[in-house]
Amino acid sequence: MVLQDLGRRINTAVTDLTRAPTLDEKAFDSMLRDIANALAEADVNIRLVANLRKTIKTTVKFSELPPSANKKRIIQKAVFDALVDIVNPHQTPYQPKKGKSNVIMFVGLQGAGKTTTCTKLARWYMARGFKTCLVCADTFRAGAFDQLKQNAIKAKIPYYGSLTQTDPVVVARDGVEKFKKERFEIIIVDTSGRHHQEDALFAEMVEIQNAVQPQQTIMVLDASIGQAAEAQSRAFKETADFGAIIITKTDGAAAGGGAISAVAATHTPIVFIGTGEHLLDLEKFNPQSFVSKLLGMGDMQGLVEH
Amino acid sequence: LLGTATSRLTGLFRNALGGATLTKSSLQQPLAAMRNHLLEKNVAREAADRLCASVETDLLNQKTASFTSIDKTIRESMEKALTRILTPTSSLDLLRDVTTTTTGPSARPYVISIVGVNGVGKSTNLSKIAYFLLQNHFRVLIVAGDTFRSGAVEQLRVHVRNLSELARREAVGRVELFEKGYGKDAASVAKEAVSYASNNTGKGGGEMLYDVVLIDTAGRRHNDTRLMSSLTKFGQLANPDKIFMVGEALVGSDSVAQARNFAKEFVDTKGNLRNNGVGMDGFIISKCDTVGDMVGTLVSMVHATGIPVVFLGVGQHYGDLRGLNVGWAVERLMR
Ligand SMILES: Nc1nc2c(ncn2[C@@H]2O[C@H](COP(=O)(O)OP(=O)(O)OP(=O)(O)O)[C@@H](O)[C@H]2O)c(=O)[nH]1
Ligand SMILES: Nc1nc2c(ncn2[C@@H]2O[C@H](COP(=O)(O)OP(=O)(O)OP(=O)(O)O)[C@@H](O)[C@H]2O)c(=O)[nH]1
Ligand SMILES: [Mg+2]
Ligand SMILES: [Mg+2]
Repeated sequence: MVLQDLGRRINTAVTDLTRAPTLDEKAFDSMLRDIANALAEADVNIRLVANLRKTIKTTVKFSELPPSANKKRIIQKAVFDALVDIVNPHQTPYQPKKGKSNVIMFVGLQGAGKTTTCTKLARWYMARGFKTCLVCADTFRAGAFDQLKQNAIKAKIPYYGSLTQTDPVVVARDGVEKFKKERFEIIIVDTSGRHHQEDALFAEMVEIQNAVQPQQTIMVLDASIGQAAEAQSRAFKETADFGAIIITKTDGAAAGGGAISAVAATHTPIVFIGTGEHLLDLEKFNPQSFVSKLLGMGDMQGLVEH
Repeated sequence: LLGTATSRLTGLFRNALGGATLTKSSLQQPLAAMRNHLLEKNVAREAADRLCASVETDLLNQKTASFTSIDKTIRESMEKALTRILTPTSSLDLLRDVTTTTTGPSARPYVISIVGVNGVGKSTNLSKIAYFLLQNHFRVLIVAGDTFRSGAVEQLRVHVRNLSELARREAVGRVELFEKGYGKDAASVAKEAVSYASNNTGKGGGEMLYDVVLIDTAGRRHNDTRLMSSLTKFGQLANPDKIFMVGEALVGSDSVAQARNFAKEFVDTKGNLRNNGVGMDGFIISKCDTVGDMVGTLVSMVHATGIPVVFLGVGQHYGDLRGLNVGWAVERLMR
């Protein structure tokens, strides 16, 4: 996955330090600078990077370490903990239940990968025995319904949408009502891309949400997003109170730090990652192993107590 | 504590009076702050570092002007550096180019193709360019060269329907969709479209049917070697007059590699990079309306390739396309 290069660099920074002939405070500071640079280059929010640097510095308290201390271990653990803390949302995502209708609404910026991911997620639940369907509540983007329809047909998933109704609130309400009556268990609602600068688009999102009363709202984020990630995700959180994040396009070369900053800003768990353009390119996500991967060291898990 | 506060104050005072000689050490902190400022504006680290280095070279051993602080001196130098990097060395007058190509004895359709990674806004901004050309009374053929993504053909069909209606109402040019459905090779669809627009298929041929051929392509990851190398063949077969890459303002550091990797695919049959060795003809930076002041992608992509920005996408409607105003961009970046 995309984060390996970042992991390698952080790892190198830590190892270089512990191999340095004199492991003094100056070397420690320069390691912190290297880590900060690696994170900045990975698109982690610049203020978050500054905070992270401060946190590691104050937890390690280098000048107070006794000479006998295992400095490498202490520093590694501080780095690992600080990173885990960023991606750890302190919140568990909603678990759909069989035998009832679980409405899942997708929101996000334009072109993030919502429509593609809707079908992937629907297929994921279908493969696990849920009665699953799709509702296209994007009446704005040209060809949006055709896109969802073609994907749904390929995946053999029932779908609902309209080529004539221009109000997404009406389409969303009608579709969800219909599928609830037919006792579908997973009803996924796709919506148009939007951004916080345009109030009318955010108001529309709230209206759709009120109309379909989703059990779960998911924000879809592109792995290549940069410094705008934090402000956008915060605004989506305040308005739509999404309870989960899906990061798409992790098969790309971007390090994904912007998306990680969105997790930190909204304390919301990443539940899946998109790994390609095809129907099956979706993976379940686990924050702990994610950070291990990020650090490029599988053995780091052992350093963290639970 | 008092000591440092006092010295900082005198430092500022001296600073404000001007006449300070700028040394590596006096520049270090304010330059680090400037670098952070650029990073916060979504300028990639590589570009931010290079810009700061050029400011350092510019200012080292210079004296600050009277009543000018070091910070202000650095700002001014950075504004100059940004202006320099963003200002195109040769001007692109698309309308004039189109007119020249489509008139006279050797008239032929002008071909533009749009490339970029997934979801950045290729098809939408292609439609905006079509609208711009229509308003200038050109006849436009839109080519559905994305034969892969679900709904890609229908998306363009809707745009063509909307644009035809607008063109009819405004009594300007006309537009048609050229499509061969899904699964076909994009390069050959493009080639067919160009000869359809030229109307030179029959013996002798007839009047050229369209002035501009606008070719959409499928989004692709720049680290997907197979899809990337198919761009080379596409470039050679469709032989566009202009290849524009859409870069998205939301994208962070990846924009640098996106720009470089796309540019390097466009070589001619002799292996030379198109457009005097830079590969592509311009960037369209989309979704500028979604990032506030953080318009750093502009800088990152130009810095990476030397290819100029030709358009900005500033919304989801046909009129939401602008030329680059360098002053506007620099002002946002320095805000
Ligand atoms: N490589 C890759 N491409 C993806 C992935 N997910 C989505 N895409 C591509 O990203 C592009 C945009 O995806 P869409 O699903 O249309 O995005 P959207 O968020 O629905 O877009 P709007 O509805 O316009 O806001 C398409 O070309 C998809 O094929 C992924 O995980 N990997
Ligand atoms: N806010 C805003 N949205 C834009 C802009 N340009 C495009 N979009 C939106 O971005 C989304 C994706 O646009 P497309 O044109 O389908 O992107 P694409 O690059 O063709 O996508 P693929 O073909 O799937 O790779 C759509 O929802 C567009 O409306 C822009 O300048 N501003
Ligand atoms: Mg969509
Ligand atoms: Mg497209």
